[in-house]
Amino acid sequence: MTMDYSDATAPTPPPKSVPVKPVSDPMPPRQAKTLPNLTPQIATAAPATTAAAKLVVKCEVRDLRFYYKQFEALKGINLTLHDKRVTAFIGPSGCGKSTLLRVLNRIYELYPDQRAKGEVLVDGRNILDPGQDLNLLRAKIGMVFQKPTPFPMSIYDNVAFGIRLYETLRSRELDERVEEALQRAALWNEVKDKLRQSGLSLSGGQQQRLCIARAIAVKPEILLLDEPASALDPISTQRIEELIAELKSDYCIVIVTHNMQQAARSSDYTAFMYLGSLIEFDETEAIFTHPSQKQTEDYITGRFG
Amino acid sequence: MAIATVSAQLGRQRVFDVLFRGATRAFAGLVLLLLGGVMVALGVGAWPAFSHFGPAFLTSTAWNPVNDQYGALPAIFGTLMTSLIAMLIGVPLAVGVAVFLTELCPPLFRRPIGTMIELLAAVPSIIYGIWGLFVLAPFLQLTVQPFLIDLLGDIPVIGVLFEGPPLGLGMLTAGFILAMMVLPFITAVVRDVFLTVPSVLRESAYGIGATTSEVVRSIVVPYTRTGIIGGVMLGLGRALGETMAVTFVIGNAHEIHASLFAPGTTISATLANEFTEAVTPLYVSSLFALGFILFVITFLVLAAAKLMLLQLERRAGT
Repeated sequence: MTMDYSDATAPTPPPKSVPVKPVSDPMPPRQAKTLPNLTPQIATAAPATTAAAKLVVKCEVRDLRFYYKQFEALKGINLTLHDKRVTAFIGPSGCGKSTLLRVLNRIYELYPDQRAKGEVLVDGRNILDPGQDLNLLRAKIGMVFQKPTPFPMSIYDNVAFGIRLYETLRSRELDERVEEALQRAALWNEVKDKLRQSGLSLSGGQQQRLCIARAIAVKPEILLLDEPASALDPISTQRIEELIAELKSDYCIVIVTHNMQQAARSSDYTAFMYLGSLIEFDETEAIFTHPSQKQTEDYITGRFG
Repeated sequence: MAIATVSAQLGRQRVFDVLFRGATRAFAGLVLLLLGGVMVALGVGAWPAFSHFGPAFLTSTAWNPVNDQYGALPAIFGTLMTSLIAMLIGVPLAVGVAVFLTELCPPLFRRPIGTMIELLAAVPSIIYGIWGLFVLAPFLQLTVQPFLIDLLGDIPVIGVLFEGPPLGLGMLTAGFILAMMVLPFITAVVRDVFLTVPSVLRESAYGIGATTSEVVRSIVVPYTRTGIIGGVMLGLGRALGETMAVTFVIGNAHEIHASLFAPGTTISATLANEFTEAVTPLYVSSLFALGFILFVITFLVLAAAKLMLLQLERRAGT
């Protein structure tokens, strides 16, 4: 029942440079039948980016299995993430969407009972390879968490933290990089006069944008967002979504969200997961207008989950 | 009838409540009373010495029971010096152990190692004293001190610290022993505050590519700074007052030397050694005065710690 995107387009093309055909729906007749249930504004809200010319594979997940001790939390995931596109992972709690996200930068390695099997190719290199340098990997793949996590230091130092880890810049250049990151995170105007104040002094929404600024300051290639707006009020959420749309031009963005409207609004591709399996993966518009799987349809129409 | 029963019951409950409140208040008051009583008793006992010697008692280095001449400076110096050495050795060790236990240790060993370090705190101080006298002191005398003298003794400024014959007993030995004794306390506190760092904070630091040492230095330690200071102060409070083990290894000489190898004394060691021999009233009173000074020193340390914590909290709040 799992729709295997990577199998559908097999053989997998070499990463980068080679354009991949946008996913077309495998079973058109069935979808027509399921269409009427869906609210039209979701459908129209889905971004129409599919027409964009270049589609570059950034990351490819192949038969990924993940274990918490003996428990199999991911049961053979196959999926492709495109550069300069937003991919949303949706699904009920415990479906493995956050777990999948946490595999992509191997942050799960902090915990001894967790392990992953399979392949995750980023630019063609398997990052699950034991020889992979974790610090370099994580510098390349930024992550923003559900709750804002400002470091116990000034706003400036929060953003400069990651840059200082990998680059030795003169203070002018560092200032520029910090400003650039804060500008991009749409926070600069609010904090430019208090860069030396503690990051903890900001409001929740500002703290979250600070964390995004911190993540993009190191110029990552992939940005992982784990329910970045779930702890925020609607206005802050809107700002974060605008930010995602803005950042999309530069990064491969993956967002885990419980909020289906958010997935529909801000993503180009959507993966629906359930009980550790990838049920359906397609363009967001397709998922929300004519999903091919019954479970997907039930979930996005609110019949369960 | 029913109402009468209820109101009788309510009345009983009210009486009990009043009694309960009074009892707990009395317990709390008892603590204050005890503290005040100790303070007053020390002050009264110390008064003859303070009035006889005046402020010079604090600055005099004389300690001559035969002529009834007493000065507190050597003991104060020894107390502060041994505690300083203990902190210099103990704090980095304790923080290092805590970092290992919380960040790096395989989970299998985490509990055994933690328990063993806590057991260090359960060793009676007299055991540390015996061990210090019969094992550590000869070892320092024969091995460590000659080595340090050869290595550092000729360097102009710090050479002074390593002058003199390697006696084995002295400030350095006492500092070592104290470091071992405060280690478990500081480690336990620091480990516990390290564990309060939210895992998402840790993850987000690792998440932008920080190594373990960078996470510890930039995130964990700043986040837990107040707790670490609390742990250090707890250890310092213990080191200042520790008696038995220090008495065994400090050499018990009312002298002040720059050298770390020289024998000295601390306030508590002096008290433990000399109360039984104190025959003149002024002698006894001088010992009381020493006790009073120790009380004041530990009080000041605690007050300084509180102030520091307040300041840190205020800074973190802005």
